[in-house]
Amino acid sequence: MLDAGFAFWGLFLACGAIVVLYALWMWWVER
Amino acid sequence: MSGQTVVFVLYFLVVFGIGWLSLRRTRSEADYWIAGGSLGWLTGGATLAATHTSAGTFIGTIGVMHGGGWSFGWVILSIPLAYWFMAAVLAPRFTRVRELTLPAFIGARYYSRSVRALAAAIILIATVVYIQAQIVAGGLIASTVFDIPAKTGMVGFTVILLAYTIVGGMLAVVYTDLLQLVVMVVGVVVAVPLALSHVGGLPEVLTLVQAVNPGTFHWGAFPPALLFTMGLAFMLGSVSSPAQLVRLYAMRDMRTIRRGVLFAIIVITGINLLVFVLSLVSTVLFPSLPTGDLAMPMLAKTVLPPLLGGIMLAAITSAMMSTVDSLLLVAGSALSKDIYQTLFDPYASERTRVWIGRLGIAVVGTVPLLLLLAGVAEGELVQFIVLLFTALMAAGFFAPVVFGVYWARATREGAAAAMIGGVTATFLWEAFGVETIDPVLPGFLTSVSLLVVVSLLTPPPPTSAISPYFGPR
Repeated sequence: MLDAGFAFWGLFLACGAIVVLYALWMWWVER
Repeated sequence: MSGQTVVFVLYFLVVFGIGWLSLRRTRSEADYWIAGGSLGWLTGGATLAATHTSAGTFIGTIGVMHGGGWSFGWVILSIPLAYWFMAAVLAPRFTRVRELTLPAFIGARYYSRSVRALAAAIILIATVVYIQAQIVAGGLIASTVFDIPAKTGMVGFTVILLAYTIVGGMLAVVYTDLLQLVVMVVGVVVAVPLALSHVGGLPEVLTLVQAVNPGTFHWGAFPPALLFTMGLAFMLGSVSSPAQLVRLYAMRDMRTIRRGVLFAIIVITGINLLVFVLSLVSTVLFPSLPTGDLAMPMLAKTVLPPLLGGIMLAAITSAMMSTVDSLLLVAGSALSKDIYQTLFDPYASERTRVWIGRLGIAVVGTVPLLLLLAGVAEGELVQFIVLLFTALMAAGFFAPVVFGVYWARATREGAAAAMIGGVTATFLWEAFGVETIDPVLPGFLTSVSLLVVVSLLTPPPPTSAISPYFGPR
C-alpha cells in the first residue's frame, strides 16, 4: 500500500509541477 | 441561520446589479454572445475557471472521494493538460475567424447549415440533462440553508440564474463568474484550516481517515482503467466543451488566451486540491451518509461557524451558477441562433436576433426545471452526470473541431457521421458497456474513425470553407 502522506503530498507536487511546466511553455512561446 | 440568509441576500443583490450594468454595455449581438471579443486575461481566465468548476467539484467530487478514496484525485492532472492543448494547439487556428457560437464554427468549416443545426441539437439535449443535475444540487443547497423543500429551492435557483443571464448575456455571465470565483476561492481557503482544526490537524486527519476507511489511499478503490478513462473524459471533454470554446472567441487575442488559461489552471487545480482535503475531513466526521453528495453541505452546516458556513454554501452555489449560466448561454444560442435563425429566419435584424436569443435562454432554462418538477431523472450522483455530459461533448465535438482546423480533407459528411456516431456510441456504452471503462473511450474512438473514413469516401471540401483555417496567415 502507498504511504498516506506520500500519496497526499504527491498529488499536490504533481499539480504544482504541471502548472510550472505550463508557465515555462508560455515563456518559451512568447520569448 | 440569519447570518447565512444575510450573506445570501447580499450576494444575490450584487449579482443582479452586475446583470443590469451588463445590459447597459450590450450594444450588439457580438456583445451579447461573446462579450464583443474584448475580455482580458483576468476576466477571461476567471470565466474559464468558474465555468469549469461546478457542482461536480463542490458536491460531486467530494461525494465520490468520500466513498471511494484519494486515487480519484489523480484524475485532475488531466485538466491542466486539456487546457494546455486548448491554448497551444487548438486556439491558434480555431480563433482565426471569430464566430459567435461553436455550431457557427462547425457550420462555416463544414459548409452546411444542417451540420450546424445537428451540432446545436446535440448541445441542446446534452446541456438540458447537465443543467438538470446542477439544479438538483442547487435545490439541495437551498433546502439546507433556508430549511425549505428542495423543489422550492430548485425553482428559486433557476429563476435567479435566468434573470441575470437573459438580461445581460455573456458580459453578465463573465462578471458574475469573476465574483463567483472569488467567493469559491474564499470559501475553500477559509474552510480548509477550520475543518482540519476541527479534527485536530492534517496528520490526525490522515490517520483517522484510514481508520474509518482503510482503503482511502489504496489504488484499488477505483479500477485503474476507469481512472485513466475518466481522466481522458475530463481532458477531451474540457477541450470540446462548447461553453469553453466560445470563451476563446470572447478573449482579445492569443496572448490573452495563454495568460488566461494559466490563471485558470492555477485556480482550478488549487480549488480541487482543497476540496479533496475537505473530502477527507468529511469521511472522518460523517463516515456513513445516505449519499456522498451530502458531504459538503453537511460540512458547511456543522463544522463551520454560521457566517463562514454561509460563505461556504455561497461558494457551492457560485460554482453551480457560474457553470449553469454559461451553459444557458450556450444552449440558448444553439436553440435561437443555430437552429431557429439558421434554418427558419436568417434575415432578422440584429435587435430581433438578440431578443430571440433571450427567448431561447428562457426556454432552455425552464425545460429542465419542469422535467425535474415532474420527477424525471432525480437522484443520480451529480459527478456521474457531469462525467456523462463531458463524455458526450468529447465524443461529439473533439474530432470535428480539432480535425476541422488541422486536417483540410475533413468533410461535412465526415463531421456529421462523427457527431452522430460518437454520441450514439457514448450512450450505448453508458447503457450496455463495461462499467470499468468510461464511455468516452468508445465514443471518442468511434467519432475519430468515422470522421476519417467518411471524409475520405466523400468529395473534398470547397476551398472557400477551409482557406480561413489553413495556410499561412
